[in-house]
Order: sequence, then C-alpha cells, then structure tokens
Amino acid sequence: MKSLTIRNLSKTYFDLYAATHVTAVQDVSLEVGAGEFVSIVGPSGCGKSTILNMIAGFVPVTGGEILVGGKPVNGPGRDRGVVFQSFALFPWRTVLENVAFGPKMRGIGKAEREKIAHEYLALARLTEAAERYPNELSGGMQQRVGVMRALANEPDVLLMDEPFASVDAQTRMTLQEELTRIWQAKKPTVIFITHDVAEAVFLADRVIALSKGRVLEEIAVDLPRPRSWDALHEDARFKALTGRVLQLVRQA
Amino acid sequence: MTTLLKIWSAYVRLTARWPSIASIVPFIPLFAAWWIVTALEIFPLVFLPGPGEVWRSFVALTWKGILPEYLQDSIVRLAVGAGWGIALGIPLGILIGMSRRAHAALWPLLLFFQAIGDIAWLPILVIWFGYGLVTMTFVIVYTVIFPVVLNTVLGVRSIPVNMHRAALSLGASRARILWEVVLPGALPNIVTGLRNGLGYGWRALIAAEIIVGTSGIGFLMFDARRAGSVVEILLGMIILGILWYIVDSWILAPIERATGQRWGLVHR
Amino acid sequence: MRLQHYLSSALMFLLPFAVLVALWAVLVPAFNVNPRLFPTLGSVVAAGLESIRDGTLPAHIGASLLRVFVGTVLALAAAIPLGVLMGVSPVVSTFLTPLFRFFSVLAGIAWIPIASLWFGYGFGAITFVIFNAVFFIVTYNTLLGVSTIPREVRNAAASLGAGRTAMLTEVLLPGALPNIVTGIRTGLGFAWRGLIAAEMIATNVGLGYMLFVARDFYRTEVIVLGMIVIGVLWLLLDRLLLAPLERRTIERWGMVQRA
Repeated sequence: MKSLTIRNLSKTYFDLYAATHVTAVQDVSLEVGAGEFVSIVGPSGCGKSTILNMIAGFVPVTGGEILVGGKPVNGPGRDRGVVFQSFALFPWRTVLENVAFGPKMRGIGKAEREKIAHEYLALARLTEAAERYPNELSGGMQQRVGVMRALANEPDVLLMDEPFASVDAQTRMTLQEELTRIWQAKKPTVIFITHDVAEAVFLADRVIALSKGRVLEEIAVDLPRPRSWDALHEDARFKALTGRVLQLVRQA
Repeated sequence: MTTLLKIWSAYVRLTARWPSIASIVPFIPLFAAWWIVTALEIFPLVFLPGPGEVWRSFVALTWKGILPEYLQDSIVRLAVGAGWGIALGIPLGILIGMSRRAHAALWPLLLFFQAIGDIAWLPILVIWFGYGLVTMTFVIVYTVIFPVVLNTVLGVRSIPVNMHRAALSLGASRARILWEVVLPGALPNIVTGLRNGLGYGWRALIAAEIIVGTSGIGFLMFDARRAGSVVEILLGMIILGILWYIVDSWILAPIERATGQRWGLVHR
Repeated sequence: MRLQHYLSSALMFLLPFAVLVALWAVLVPAFNVNPRLFPTLGSVVAAGLESIRDGTLPAHIGASLLRVFVGTVLALAAAIPLGVLMGVSPVVSTFLTPLFRFFSVLAGIAWIPIASLWFGYGFGAITFVIFNAVFFIVTYNTLLGVSTIPREVRNAAASLGAGRTAMLTEVLLPGALPNIVTGIRTGLGFAWRGLIAAEMIATNVGLGYMLFVARDFYRTEVIVLGMIVIGVLWLLLDRLLLAPLERRTIERWGMVQRA
C-alpha cells in the first residue's frame, strides 16, 4: 500500500452545448497516508467523481499533479484499483474469473491465480458463488465481487466511486460493515466517494467535504474501530461528526 | 483551438435539433471519395462511372418518364404485396399466438416455409402465373408475412396474463378482449414486424424484378447489366438505398418508436 | 430423460409435416393435377433419388454451400476487425454508423447486376454477392456491439492492468459477441437468399440454377425437390447451429439483446 498525494488538482473542460469552459474541480490538494481510509463527500455535481476519475487515469488532468507513493501517475494502471457504482463486472466471465482477472493480466498462471481469487472470495464469504455468472447474483453480491476483484490485484491505492449507491438500504449497511472488516484485514489505502454523509463518516479515518469543485473542510473521524451500525446508531460522537459534515455540505 | 471547438460545438447543437443532418453528413466523405476516384480514373470508367454521369442518367431517365414509371411500378407492387401480407399476417399471428393447438400445428410449417425463402418460389410461380403482377405480389406477400406473423406472435405472447385476467374480471367478452387488450398490447411488436417485413419485402421485390421483372427499379438494374451499362445499375442502387433509408428512418422507425414508447412497452 | 424430451419435441415438430406430406400424397392424384403444374409426391422422391445417384444434387448442394462458406469467411475476416476498430472510438462509430446501415440495406441481391459486370459469371460474382450480404451487416453489428460495451467495464479492465491486446481479446470481442452472432445470423439469412437469386441468373451450377433451369423444362418435380432441399438446408443451418449459438451467447452473459 502506498500513499497518495494530490497537489493543486484542477479540471476544466469545454462544454459542447454551452460552448463555454467549465471548471469541475478547482485547486484541490490532499495528502493520504498509506493504509488510510479517506471519504470524499459532497452533493451531486460537486466534482468528486471527476477527482476519482483523474486519480484513476480515466480522465486527463488539466492542472496540478497526482502522485502515488511519490511517483506521478499517467493513465489507468494496476497501481490504482477501482470499484464502480455500476459494478462493471465482466458478464461473460464467472465470478472466479472476474476476481482472477487482475492477476491474469500480470501473467500469473491459472492454478496460481485461481488460488489467489479463492482466497479473496473466501474473505468476502463468496466461495459458493465462484462458478456463477454475474447476472445470476444480486446487486449486493455483485458489488462484493467488484471489491474483491479490485483488491485481488493488490493495488497501491483503492478507489471506490459511490460503490453502494446502486444497492438497497439494508444491503448497503451490511456491505459497509463488510468493507470495514475487509479493510481491517488488508489495510489498503482507500479513497471512497459518496454523497451519503453517514456512510462517509462510518467508513473513514478522515472525511473531505467537497462542494462546487473545492474542498470545504477536512474532518478527522476519531471513532474507534471496528465499527458497527448497531453501536454507532445512537453514538453521540458519530452524530456530532455527521451533523458537522452535513452542515458543511448543505450550506455550500 | 477554441474556434475549432466552437465550430464543433455548433455542429453538435445543430444535429441535436435536427438529427437527420447527422445521418447525412457521413455520406459526404464517401461521396467525395467517389468523385475523386472516378475523376482520377483509378478504375476504368466503364467499371466505375462518376457521380456526374449517374446524375445525368438520373435526369435523362426522369425526363423521359421511365424512372418515375419504374419507381411507381416498384412502389405499387410493394404496397399491394405488403398490404396483403399485413392483412393476412396479423390475424394469423394472433391466432397462433393465442391458441396452443394452432401454434403446435402451424409453427413448424411456418419455420420451414420461411426457410425456403421467397426467391426459391419464383420458378414455380412463373410456371403457374407467368411474369405478371400476381407472381410479384405473391413473392412480396410471402416475404412480408413471416416477420409480421412472427412478431405478432411474440407480441401476443408477451402480454402479461394478468392483463387478460383483469379484462375478464371487468366483464369483457372474448371478442372484446381481442380488440381491447390483445391488439393494443401486441401493437408495438406488430409494428416492429411490419418494419422488418417491409424491409425484407423491399429486397424481395428487387430480387423478383431482377429475375423475372419487366419493369421497376430492379428490372432497370438488370436490363442495364445486359446492356453492359454500369451507370444505371449504380443509379438504381443509390435510389434503392435512399428510398429505403427515407421510408425506414423517417416513417417506419418513428412510428415504431411512437407506439412502443408511448405505451412504455417493447425495447428494440 | 433429456433424450426422451428431445425426441418427443422433435416428433411434435415433425407431425405437421407428416400431415402435409400425407395430404400431398392423397390430394394431388385425387384431383388429377397436371404434373406440369404440380408434381406428385412419388415423382419428387424419384427425382431426388435419381439426382443423388447421378451426383447432380450433391454437386449443386456442394457448389452452393462452398460459395456461402467462402463468402462468409472472407466477409467475417474483414468485418469483425473493422467493426472493432470503428466501435472503439465513439466519435468514429457515431459518424460511420449511418454509412453502414445504408449499405446493409442493399441486400446481397442488389449487388448482382454490378457483380456480374465486374466479375463475370460464376464463382466470383456469387461469392461477391454473399460477401456483401454478410460484410455490411456484421460490421454494423460488431460496431454496435463494441460501442455499447459500458465505458466502466472498459475502464475496469484498464485499471486491472489490461493492455491493448488483452483489452481486445478479453473485453471488446467477448462484449460484442452477442451482437456479432446476431449479425452473422441475419447476414447468413440474407446471404442464403442472395445466393439462390444469384445462382438463378449468374451461373451454371448450384441450387438456384437447378431450380431455374428446371423451370424451362416444366420439370416441376425438380423444382419442388429443390425447394424442399433449400428449405431443409437453411432450417438445419439456422435452427441447429445459428439460433442455439445466438441464444447461448446472449443467455450465458445475461446481456439484453441490443438493436
């Protein structure tokens, strides 16, 4: 796991319809330590997905720089794994083959990479689903596969783009707890994008409140780990933190 | 750089308002390539004539009244054949869609006769009816009927059984259900079938005209071939393409979209 | 158990034909139909056996199938790579789609006059017709298939370390495969019909030719034989090979059929 540094990151693009330049992200700077879990929260259109896409290399940067482990990034790569809101699993491959995809790209032999995939599936308690195809699984299970697929490739940084937004509320809570458990075991460096304030505070070590392409405030989450919804529901500190973030995000 | 972007942006907005422009613009480079290739005579002109010659031929044939007459012949045949195909196909499709027995009895036969294809019927049709309108109409009806029936069956079967039940519980008779539930419910699929059927019918028409025709666009192309003149062949092909493009994109597709979308059924 | 099920549904499928054949055997002699108008069942069977024995039927079938095969293979070899290349870039694919849709409309048969002028009679012209029937529609479908692979799936592969070759073989081709198979199936349908039509006017061997020449001699039993052979061949090809292939690729990947 490596650290992630963002310096004066900005993104402007040309809107074809309005025929003007639009600034999506403005002068964002961020330091994420190795093994740290950071959430970026903000309302729709605040630029958080754009930031993630730039870190992932899917979208070119128009200003500033991004460094992983001190080295600048260029285009997508296996050092930055991504979990997508739409899951983006390969429908023509089984669950096992999906999770084994990253190792396959690295040239790891079949037996070896299937072993790796099985390990990660076991961690997410998905072993029985190994030979299934994605369309046979529920949304929640598909996303767990998505997370394990990204993790099995052992990226330096894990980027999660509103991964639980397409899943129902109860499954979401289960997935959030699962994620913290898995994260505890593997301790990847994580950037987690969401518009759900409670989710952001629940998961992260630090919450970045974003609005209109700018960072409003960074809030440290000093709640003890491991965290569970049962415990935190009525927790005063949790409520205070979520209240603060909500206030920031809503007033902007 | 920004001026380029502004121009591109203007183009995007233009095509957003008038999508037809987006379907015409890609042909411009093709047309230009054709012009250049023939102007440079990369292939002998006898093999590939240029747009100028084709245009002149178009004008000449229109002036002489041949082209409009052939066009009319072709379209009339298609309309008559398609009309019969639809008139026969929809009831047949509804019958097969609604009755298990009809389905078991007729479906295999349908598949087999569809597999024979319209063209293979031409020789025997010529023996029976000669070279006239009857042969042509038969071929087109034959071609149109299969997509219409198949899609009608699909449409009828995809009506949720609860809709039938709802109608029954509201006191509708069998006949009323047919008119009030089955037909509207299957309509989007029927229109898709119509569109496919007309597409196949158009091709069948051209084939029939090429092989046994005495007039029409297909005949024009084949006659020109006999005379060794590529110009009319190209003209015929272009007319065919444009005509079908117009009918399909500007008439049929919107109808299909309108029925489907309006009722929130059927996705293509 | 499965064999039983398969056999019984095959039997159900053949039953209407048995009825039809029985009607044929009875009605044609009963109404004393002129053999020049419609043949008796017996005469068709006899013609069939004879043409198998003297080798003409296998020769015709062989010629037709060979042309379809060659034309299709060539068309696929050109269409799939081209379709993939075009589909990868959204700008290129939106721009070129109308062109390919247009040319898909010019079914194989519309190319016959120009094909026979350019290539003369015989194998070349007919294979060209088949090539066109398959090429445009497969390119169009491949293009469509590739361009509708969700951006995120391609991004996912990139972020898992897929290089260009891997992207092609692991994402683009599998992702477009249902559309490609649909395109092949439709294209072959056009090709088969174009083949028969082309063989009627541009050659001297093949099923289409067999039909057409028989017409000149009023040999209706040969015509009907030919029609049955054509129907059975296509039925076998489409129902036993193409349709299951299409169904399995789409079903397996749980992707909704597009276009």
